[in-house]
Amino acid sequence: MANASVELPPARYDHGGDEFVFVELDRAMSLEANFKAMAITSALQEENLEGVLDICPSNASYLIRVDPDRLHPAELVRHLEGLERSVAPLAPDKAVRTRVVDVPVLYDDPWTHETLMRFRDRHQDPEATDLEYAARVNGFASVGELVEALSGSPFLVTMIGFVPGLPFCYQMVPRERQIEVPKYVRPRTDTPERAFGYGGAFAVVYPVRGAGGYQLFGLAPAPVFDRTQRLADFEDGIVFPRPGDILRYRSIDRSEFDAIRDEVERGTFRYRIREFEFAPAHFLTDPDGVNAQILEVLYR
Amino acid sequence: MTTIKTAMPGVIYRRPSPEEEPFVREGETIEEGQTIALVEVMKNFNEVKADQSGRLTRFLVEDGDEVAISQDIAELED
Amino acid sequence: MSTRSGEVVVVRGGLHTTVQDTGRDGYYSLGIPPSGAMDRFSYRVANMLVGNPDGAAALEATYVGPTLEFTDDRRVAVTGASAPVTVNGEPVPTWQVLEVRSGDVLEFSMLTAGARLYIAISGGVAVPVYLGARSTYTLTGLGGFEGRRLADGDRLPLGEEEIADPPRVGSAVEEALRPDLPDVALLRTMIGLCSYRVTEESMRVFTSTEWKVTKDADRIGYRLHGGRFDFVDREPPHGAGSDPANVVDLGYPLGSIQVPGGDEPIVLLNDAVTAGGYATVGTVVSADLDRIAQAKTGDRVRFESVDLRTALEARADRHARLERVRRALREQGAHA
Repeated sequence: MANASVELPPARYDHGGDEFVFVELDRAMSLEANFKAMAITSALQEENLEGVLDICPSNASYLIRVDPDRLHPAELVRHLEGLERSVAPLAPDKAVRTRVVDVPVLYDDPWTHETLMRFRDRHQDPEATDLEYAARVNGFASVGELVEALSGSPFLVTMIGFVPGLPFCYQMVPRERQIEVPKYVRPRTDTPERAFGYGGAFAVVYPVRGAGGYQLFGLAPAPVFDRTQRLADFEDGIVFPRPGDILRYRSIDRSEFDAIRDEVERGTFRYRIREFEFAPAHFLTDPDGVNAQILEVLYR
Repeated sequence: MTTIKTAMPGVIYRRPSPEEEPFVREGETIEEGQTIALVEVMKNFNEVKADQSGRLTRFLVEDGDEVAISQDIAELED
Repeated sequence: MSTRSGEVVVVRGGLHTTVQDTGRDGYYSLGIPPSGAMDRFSYRVANMLVGNPDGAAALEATYVGPTLEFTDDRRVAVTGASAPVTVNGEPVPTWQVLEVRSGDVLEFSMLTAGARLYIAISGGVAVPVYLGARSTYTLTGLGGFEGRRLADGDRLPLGEEEIADPPRVGSAVEEALRPDLPDVALLRTMIGLCSYRVTEESMRVFTSTEWKVTKDADRIGYRLHGGRFDFVDREPPHGAGSDPANVVDLGYPLGSIQVPGGDEPIVLLNDAVTAGGYATVGTVVSADLDRIAQAKTGDRVRFESVDLRTALEARADRHARLERVRRALREQGAHA
């Protein structure tokens, strides 16, 4: 895998009107592009620059919201170009402290099944379920094999957004093992809260009920968004996931799903979270080894 | 004779849903506050209500027409 | 002066009336848009008129004004869209400092121009500050008054007046300093972001078309109709998805214009999704977001390609206009 590393093009700097600066690191998704987005935005975060209102790392790009009355957007671009030159996301000694989290998912659950059956006319393959379709187009012999692949290796939270708390997650496997599915032909008008979806090369958990275009694979019993902040994991904020988190979408059965739902209802649920020292360069040379280590730390 | 106007722009519907009967037919007598149509705007269906009682003689819009603020929707005879 | 009850009664909520201020900063990266007043100029002037500090929470009403009954003495101002306004049935002017007493009822007739009314009340609407702002974000029900639009019978808390010498009652903003509310709003736009996805010809069509505002136009975004975009052929990049409009999901600037199906572009506004996987072709400059906020369903808008310098000049112009209003109000004398 060491020689398969992705070469990124030079970043493209652009203005989103006078209040935003958009920086495209690559048009294709890669862990390399995301590591670079994270490294630059973390560096900027630490600088606490006057006039920077929002710093949004994205999958293969990032977006900065600026107050042009306090910081000239062109000056911000020059500053970001400097950061691009100075940060070295793939330096051998570069490591970031992050969280590894166990996120249980009931794959092929009855609730998302009911929803996806209602919207077959908006799907590429009205005769199959979303899981059956995704297994087929990705060359898996069965839905079980697809679920094993999804559940087997962890995902990196590469962006939060769309709606409050929605994590875009990219699986931490080499590109040739990435699962990719198209989005619905026409978006659904309904998606259950906590649905585990997949679109392009990204897995998501829908924080709230609403429209959506991702393939529906399952349902998470625990929330990623909690406006009431009732659960302990939401003490510091209404959104649980953070960019850079490593999530493992572990396949669970119905009885575990019900047990977790019960804990969530009673307000006692806590995610299994472990601290992890993540070294991007090391990961890219030995993804399977690092993933094994991540799971070992998580369930130790 | 007066008219009933819409306070909001959007797309007007004379029935609660495509399968149902119209709220009011031409020639019927209506009460003040009665819903005569819906205007769809901002992803909501909003009721257009009669601001006085009378006999609704004529609708001035068709189902599915785009309407503007203060446009006449129907004619009303006291 | 009567005793302060610190409340205003919402007799009728109107169609979509929410509590808004300058919006929330710092939560975009969690998927929480800034919200806030959509026509920032009109909102700011309303606060100035009643002597509120910049950033006090006011009401924003879309298409249908609310009916408000006051329960103590306040100064009130109405700005933004044009509509006949009455207090206890008597016509009163907009863009002017009004005085109301306990029991007075402020009411609106149908709008005659524009889309959004701003109603500032001295002391400001004192809903709790949530994530740094009093703005309402109705999509997930946070901020503002219970996270929702106002309903008949709501009672809104009002704050204490803070400024020592507010403008005199009757002080007005002259016509020339108010926004024009044209039938076709010109939106200066910085082309870019993912405009590489659509053909040059489509971008020419984009800036030469008069787009019609559809019924799907709200605080989240404005869907427009009138032309179509053709996409450049390509092999989809890894992770983007197969639709020609898809890009690897990225952050959306407020004011950016996305082209999901190619036929109906959507301008993303204060309550919009913060990110997604559709190509965006440019961003409306901040000063002209005020203009689109006053465009209503059925109106037309046009996009004009400008550079950063023009965008910043437009912003400076708006700022200068606000300062002229401030000065003019000061010259009309302070409240006794």
